[in-house]
Amino acid sequence: MNNTLIILLPLLGFFINGVWHLIASSKGKKVSPFASGTIATLAMAGSFALALTQFLKLRAMPVESRLIEETLFQWMKLGGLSVDFALRFDSLSAVFTLVITGVGTLIHLYSVGYMSDEENIAKYFSYLNFFCFMMLNLVLGATLPHVFLGWEGVGLASYLLIGFWYKEMPNVLAGQKAFIMNRIGDLGFLIAMFIGFKFAGTLDLLEIQKAVLSPHVVTVFGLLIFFACTGKSAQIPLFTWLPDAMAGPTPVSALIHAATMVTSGIYLLARLNPIIAASDIVLSTIAIVGGLTALVAAIIACFQSDLKKVLAYSTVSQLGFMFMACGVGAFQVGVFHVMTHAFFKALLFLAAGSVIHALHGEQNIFEMGGLRKKLPLTFITFTAGWAAILGLPPFSGFFSKDEIIYETLVSHHGNKIIFGLAIISAALTAFYMTRLYLLVFFGNARMDKKKFDHAHESPWVMGAPLAVLATLSLVGGWFGAPVSLDHGAAEVSEISPHLIMFVSVVIATLGAGLAFFKYSKNTKVEKTTDVFGIDRIYGVAFGRGLQKLSSGAAKYVEEWVVQRIIQVSAALVDLSGNMIKVLQVGSAQAYLMMIVLAVVAIFAWFFLGAGIYGNF
Amino acid sequence: MITLEPWMMLVVSMIIFCIGLLGVILRKNLLIMLMCVELMLNGVNLSFVAFSKMHQILDGHLTVLFVMTVAAAESAVGLGLVIALFRNLRTVDSDQIQMLRD
Repeated sequence: MNNTLIILLPLLGFFINGVWHLIASSKGKKVSPFASGTIATLAMAGSFALALTQFLKLRAMPVESRLIEETLFQWMKLGGLSVDFALRFDSLSAVFTLVITGVGTLIHLYSVGYMSDEENIAKYFSYLNFFCFMMLNLVLGATLPHVFLGWEGVGLASYLLIGFWYKEMPNVLAGQKAFIMNRIGDLGFLIAMFIGFKFAGTLDLLEIQKAVLSPHVVTVFGLLIFFACTGKSAQIPLFTWLPDAMAGPTPVSALIHAATMVTSGIYLLARLNPIIAASDIVLSTIAIVGGLTALVAAIIACFQSDLKKVLAYSTVSQLGFMFMACGVGAFQVGVFHVMTHAFFKALLFLAAGSVIHALHGEQNIFEMGGLRKKLPLTFITFTAGWAAILGLPPFSGFFSKDEIIYETLVSHHGNKIIFGLAIISAALTAFYMTRLYLLVFFGNARMDKKKFDHAHESPWVMGAPLAVLATLSLVGGWFGAPVSLDHGAAEVSEISPHLIMFVSVVIATLGAGLAFFKYSKNTKVEKTTDVFGIDRIYGVAFGRGLQKLSSGAAKYVEEWVVQRIIQVSAALVDLSGNMIKVLQVGSAQAYLMMIVLAVVAIFAWFFLGAGIYGNF
Repeated sequence: MITLEPWMMLVVSMIIFCIGLLGVILRKNLLIMLMCVELMLNGVNLSFVAFSKMHQILDGHLTVLFVMTVAAAESAVGLGLVIALFRNLRTVDSDQIQMLRD
């Protein structure tokens, strides 16, 4: 019952706020942001409390049988396919459910303050609750179609929220881009499902893992699933939508595009880990793509001047770290990093939102500076997030990130190349985060004097989530992660974990030091540089290519094929008409003659052809 | 002494029918064509009677009575039409009457 309630509470909040918005907007009235936000936040808080009780129940069970399953109804039955609508709560789902509901509650609370001037506030909260409902479906669903339902649902919610301020064109385009990029990945998910059903005969997440599949099927299935993950979790080649998704409201960026939705790819890989880990090709593809994404996104982040864009590329990069962990078979470490990342990245986004809020929408970091005295709470909490993402002990990022770096070297599937990618990305992470940190909070104030004087600390509804998340960013790493996902991780190794920890802290310090050296005094304005120009490449390769193809088709295929077919068929009709026209002479006697001849012919055919007593 | 066999009647019936048919197809005078239609009908009537005699049942006779009644009505209407046409067009030549075609 509790599993069902966990997902039903956000759904209820969605309905209440949605109906309220419809009624209020039809009457032209404004919804009180406080009341609407309270409903939405309470729905999430209730969901979180239930998830917590389920988690405690799970903890009380023996390790091997940690699973609470609830089957609601039979969803579909077609031939050999029978899918139940069931919710499964196990240790992996528990981590994700707690993060979604917990961080979700905080971000709902924060939104009450951040979005207080917003006109369609009830619509905003209903979308946010809808997102949580779908995300919980994704992580609690017991079958692949159920996961797919959540997968599409969060994509829809993401689209709606990116384009929430739909009156400005760039926001709308960013929403469309996110949706279309995700659809490309979804194709992989769909085909993987078909393959799974064809060869394993089931779509149940537990049973499909037990199915005996040939190595080729496993490889294709794994690659398709990973392709789906590159869409949702913003990996190469489908990562370009995430930075654009920052067009949405900042709490949305924190919840959907940093803490939860983008980690659903990791969830899927971890959920299917026996199949994924069964193929070396799939594993090494994941590790290499993850490593390259981490590196590429970190490099791009060093050249951005928009506060939220830096954090967005940082998210892509951190997701790359998680995929690296999965790619070397250390799924539990990847999930661990999902959790710590959810804390500190949500914190960083919310703190960034607090800065943007204080400066009335300013997002360029070269127009900031010196804010540490004006926004003390934001400054302290941002510092916690900064330390966590750098991986400074004892902040949470230290535990998860160093474990990933350690696994890339010592795991059976790890190697020096992936280790190198991870280390360089970690150094770059330290560099761009310190750059951001210095430019926003230190140095001289570079914005208008009036703006600077007006800057004020946010209300408590925004401060409280920051404080809670800062605490979690500090202690979040001390919990560890579910151990049941261990696959191919190193048992014994000659390389000491302490050495790696030392190396990675030194690397992070070096990166941070370099940034300090470069940006502590000199704050020359840098323009955003499109380092790799990936959007431009896609524009030329797919956008322009498709346009060329279409205009070519319009010119040649239309003229030489489609029009020719129509002309020929028209000519055929014309010709046959002309031939038959001859018979129509307009004389009744001629027609009668024809009738007589036809009757004679029919009789002749019957009597001569078939015989009088023949069997016609 | 030759006895009247049904097949002989059938042969006569066929000859009358064919004369009528050829008349309808070949002649251009509407009055002649009308008469030829009557010939065809009577040829058929004769075959009905012949078959009736052949099978020793009275259905053929009954049908003949019906056909004769209908033929009388038909020729009355047909003659009326021909007269109406002649009054309007001053001709009973079927080749000249082609207003619908043009």
